[in-house]
Amino acid sequence: MNTAAPAISVQSLKKSYGDVHAVKGIDFTIQSGEVFGLLGPNGAGKTTTVEILEGLRPRTGGEVTVLGFDPDRQREQLKDRIGVCLQATNLPEKIRVREAMQVFASFYTRHVDLNKLLQRLQLEEKRDAFYGTLSGGQKQRLALALALINDPQLIFLDEPTTGLDPQVRVEIHSLLEELKREHRTILMTTHYIEEAERLCDRVAIVDEGRIIALDTPARLQQQSRNASSIVVTCATPFPQNRPTWAEAIQSSLDPTSRTLTVNSRRPAATLVDLVKWIDQQGLELTDVSLKQPSLEDVFIELTGKSLRE
Amino acid sequence: MKSYKALITLDLKLALRQKSVIFFNYLFPLIFFFIFGQAMHAERGAAMTIVISMVLIIGILGNGLFGAGIRAVQEREANILRRYKVTPISPAPLLVASVVTGWILYMPNVLLIFTLAHFLYGMPWPNSMPSILLFTTIAICGFRSIGLILASVVNSMQESQLLVQLIYLPMLFLSGATFPLAMFPSWLLVVTQFVPATYMVTGIQGMLLRNEGIAANIQPAVALLLTAFVGLFISYKLFRWEKEEKIRASAKLWLAAVLTPFLLLGFWQMHARTGIAKTKILNRQLARSETLLIRGARIFVGDGQVIENGSVLVRSGKIAAV
Repeated sequence: MNTAAPAISVQSLKKSYGDVHAVKGIDFTIQSGEVFGLLGPNGAGKTTTVEILEGLRPRTGGEVTVLGFDPDRQREQLKDRIGVCLQATNLPEKIRVREAMQVFASFYTRHVDLNKLLQRLQLEEKRDAFYGTLSGGQKQRLALALALINDPQLIFLDEPTTGLDPQVRVEIHSLLEELKREHRTILMTTHYIEEAERLCDRVAIVDEGRIIALDTPARLQQQSRNASSIVVTCATPFPQNRPTWAEAIQSSLDPTSRTLTVNSRRPAATLVDLVKWIDQQGLELTDVSLKQPSLEDVFIELTGKSLRE
Repeated sequence: MKSYKALITLDLKLALRQKSVIFFNYLFPLIFFFIFGQAMHAERGAAMTIVISMVLIIGILGNGLFGAGIRAVQEREANILRRYKVTPISPAPLLVASVVTGWILYMPNVLLIFTLAHFLYGMPWPNSMPSILLFTTIAICGFRSIGLILASVVNSMQESQLLVQLIYLPMLFLSGATFPLAMFPSWLLVVTQFVPATYMVTGIQGMLLRNEGIAANIQPAVALLLTAFVGLFISYKLFRWEKEEKIRASAKLWLAAVLTPFLLLGFWQMHARTGIAKTKILNRQLARSETLLIRGARIFVGDGQVIENGSVLVRSGKIAAV
């Protein structure tokens, strides 16, 4: 990770609406080039947090710096430099795709080549189409195009694939992966676990206005109380008496004695030990698989809630 | 500056793609023009000036209240403004673009109506045309602003429809655009002096009938201009990008603030009564504007002479020939 100033730094951020405390003291730092996910159920405070960082809402307390700007006091400079893809926004029905691009380009001090951007988001053929005639996926691609129009180094994506069908979601994911390869910093909120697992370098799990866990998706999974299970299959049956492998909790054999399941909290260490043992026993390994607890399991463990409630 | 230009261009394109805009902004006034033109025998005398002032006021009211007001609420309700909120622009280019677009869309109408009046009904080209154009420009800006402030104080589409009707109908009926002010009892005439639209009607009629310039209508012109600026400023201050942000009910009083110039003008008129006097003069002038020929009459001429079975030609209220 680079040593430059972080793209976003948030310290004890609070936001209240009257007596309702939507955000109750959140801290995190996002390095530039990082893809950071805010994961949480509806009403957890994700959107409020993101909107404060985008300069859309004033905060009640705490310190926030985004690209070196204070979102409360340097709103316009900040908005000129970031790209934002909000939930539930619309454009006029009778605006053409290229007209939308032109008018949004005029709002920024600099903008990218509009034709190239259309090409990149596969909207070239639709450039003269009215917004009202676009499909859900095309509308979302246009929303992304508008978010990229000022060539932002920092992009906010608020639930970028909610409500899209699975095929379109895959399409959007590969676009986001491309942005990630360009080392753009991305802060996204989502309630799709697979999305966070696939795209995010680090994930913060937010619940009731607080961050209850923050780490890489892999390490969050390791923190789970649920152990991973290693399943090995051999060509010949396993012997009935087996040693205890490093970090293993328990093991069991299926009725054919050829498939062994070993539970472990640190599957990597166990697996090395297990494979060594299989080799010493002169068994022929035909299949190995590792089942880790999903981020969803971790989430439910931590919050006691399902993500889509 | 780029964003102002881009938004004006976009607003114009969007407006011209909307069937309702084409109908209400262009066709509707023409329908009124021909109906009133036929009904009032606009080919005779100065009746055309009534038709023109009626058509202009109906158009400008609609352009301002529906074109600016209702549309601004629609954009907020449809989450379109929410998309603009994350860009670096302020509400200023959106508001200014709305006013400028309304003006560009409406002005061809003014020219079209005068051209039709000239060629179809034989109305001479008015000498005060520059003043008329300037005055209608100020009026459009004023009423667009009223529409915008209306949009900024309502919380829903239904509320905006209601408020627009509450302003539109009295303005239409009390301005003298639909019922001639001559029909009004004197207490109602006083009420009309508080209605911005009244000044538009008397202003345009004065310019047409009496060749008045903008200087003779400086009070209403200034009041409309003030309305435009105050309205834009308050709309800017109260601007909301999202339908979820609600405004308190008392904010509707800001609408009254925009109409303050006319409230002051109305009170001043209660005292000075020049507006009512002007209305009466205009009505008298309109009434005697027809050319009249009385035939087969016994005429007693001033010098004592009596003409049996003679004719008198009356033009603009004066005897032109015997």
